[in-house]
Amino acid sequence: MAVKNTKFKDAGEIIENALASGRKILLPDEAMDIIKSSGISTPAYALAKTANEAVTAAKSMGFPVVLKIVSPDVLHKSDVGGVVVGVENDKEIERNYNEIMNNLTKKVQDADIMGMLVEKQVPTTTEVIVGGIRDEQFGPTVMFGLGGIFVELFKDVVFRIAPVTETEALEMIGEIKGYSVLNGYRGTEKLDIQKLSKTVVTVSELISDIDEIKEVELNPLLVYTEGVTAVDARIIIN
Amino acid sequence: MALDKFFNPESVAVIGATEDPKNITSMIMKNLIEMGFEGRLVPVNPHHDEVFGHKCYPSLLEIKEKIDLTVISIPARFVPEVLRQQATCGIKNAIVVSGGFAESGYKGAILEEEVMKICKEEGIRLMGPNCIGVLDNYSNFSSSFLPWTKVKRPAKGNLSILSQSGSFAICVLDMLSEEGMGVSKVINYGNRADVGESEMIEYLTDDDSTHVIGIYMESVDDGRRFIDASSSCSKSKPIVALKVGRRDSGIEAVKSHTGTIAGKYEIYKAAFKKSGIVEVNGFTEFLDACKVLSMQKPAKGEKILVLTNGGGFGVATSDMCSDTGLDVANTPESVRKVLSEKFPGYFILSNPIDLTGSSGDEDYGIAMKAALVDNDFFDAAIIIPLMPPETMTEGVVEIISQMARESGKPVVICVASGVYTGGVKTKFEEKGLPVFPTPERCVKAMSVLVERGRMNGC
Repeated sequence: MAVKNTKFKDAGEIIENALASGRKILLPDEAMDIIKSSGISTPAYALAKTANEAVTAAKSMGFPVVLKIVSPDVLHKSDVGGVVVGVENDKEIERNYNEIMNNLTKKVQDADIMGMLVEKQVPTTTEVIVGGIRDEQFGPTVMFGLGGIFVELFKDVVFRIAPVTETEALEMIGEIKGYSVLNGYRGTEKLDIQKLSKTVVTVSELISDIDEIKEVELNPLLVYTEGVTAVDARIIIN
Repeated sequence: MALDKFFNPESVAVIGATEDPKNITSMIMKNLIEMGFEGRLVPVNPHHDEVFGHKCYPSLLEIKEKIDLTVISIPARFVPEVLRQQATCGIKNAIVVSGGFAESGYKGAILEEEVMKICKEEGIRLMGPNCIGVLDNYSNFSSSFLPWTKVKRPAKGNLSILSQSGSFAICVLDMLSEEGMGVSKVINYGNRADVGESEMIEYLTDDDSTHVIGIYMESVDDGRRFIDASSSCSKSKPIVALKVGRRDSGIEAVKSHTGTIAGKYEIYKAAFKKSGIVEVNGFTEFLDACKVLSMQKPAKGEKILVLTNGGGFGVATSDMCSDTGLDVANTPESVRKVLSEKFPGYFILSNPIDLTGSSGDEDYGIAMKAALVDNDFFDAAIIIPLMPPETMTEGVVEIISQMARESGKPVVICVASGVYTGGVKTKFEEKGLPVFPTPERCVKAMSVLVERGRMNGC
């Protein structure tokens, strides 16, 4: 695949493989691999094919962890009981691993299951969404908004034509109505807007660079006083 | 320039020309004659020998001389044949006024495809179908079928309008005339089967008589080309856009209107931003933005002087400035010092400067000289001369416009409506100062100048 920027070389290969196997939605681990290889930080994660592998992975990254189903037949992981957070030890991993498997086989017969994504659980903080869609008319675009009710209730999001510069990304962040949530209000600490803007730039470059990406979304992206972390990513290709 | 024959044709064939007032083609002919179009006007219709004194030909094939453009307003089903004939004659441009194409349903869409196939094969450029076409105020050419007795033709000016809607194109002409604004070109491409706004923006970028472009947009013809064309154009010429069909309920209307589907509004906003386009809400803002940009230059910053002899207007304007992100910064000490030596103690010298009901024409001159001409603190000014006091006369127009010129800064005027004041408005606008009847419209217009200034980094 012809990627223009070498930092998206791995991303290009992952997408190429997925397209070769006829898939339009990347698996959770593939999406995370793309995000990580593009230079956006993620929590430690690993794909486990058995409960034992999940235990080994969790021990090496440290508890608590989050378990997420990895299956090409699942579009919304939470809807099928495919996500469990706050898993604290070996026993809980085994119990939850099997429960998630059961949940899925009950809801989706003959579901193809690759295993479980084990992800180190990170501290909660302000959640934002950084996404991109390829518009039929205007081509690649990038979107930024605060997560949770801000996006659902207030549609407090802003779009730009991709790619954007860091200045444009900062302008986008400043444009949302809930900006003060990020910039510190009533004594809350100012969050790492600089890192956030760099992430917006990277997502905008990713969708501009790889024509096969139809949609990309980091949701949520956690924003700390220092640094940001993408805990979940979704990428649609064609 | 490739599309110039749509605006400056040396010879035009009007297909289906007739004197029958029930047929819109008669109006197209009449308009062209009354407007004093200086190119050759050639009616084509097998049923007539002469139309309004012009020799009429039975078909394009019979015309010996070179024709630059056809204007076609015959029933849709006959249009392909005319295009084939004009291909034979080597006529490269057509304005298809006729409706009954993609906007009318499946059969019409098939017909439109056939028309476009002919055009592509034969290298014919087409405007429309289902359109008004163009008005070029300099070449006196128009394909409009609406009588100028009912739609007032504006004076020559530097504003050009692109409109996907025919009714908007026509009504905006009337509204611009009413506002006393001049126009260069108005273009309505209807179904936009071929020529659309992107290519028109490219054309107008190099059009000397166009300094400002206003676009009424339902959907875009080619998103990326539009961004490229507008980004390049807006470096030298301001573009104002009114996007309609923004919400789900609106999109249906657009779909049935011109046969296209509007894209997501948020992405349009992003595209306008990328292109350096000033986006406006509604007709009033559209006209006001076009007006202020065609009369005044952009503001270098957002520090606005508000000067009035009516305290209430000053406070209201100041509030609206703050809401819009304009800075009604306090009058600098040096300016206050000068003014306090010349004015009585009860004049208010903080911004807004309130000259009170006992001031006269000359006081405006003194205030503007000190705050705007001799001092560079303010980037622009909103001046609100209320005319009712006996001491205020029409002489204030000359004083304010003189000071505005000397300052080199953008100035907009607010005068409330009224029979007497209406006359003052005209006088201000003759001097090149745009007048708006309310503080909110004044402030919005000023914010357009500030936004434009921010965009092209002037």
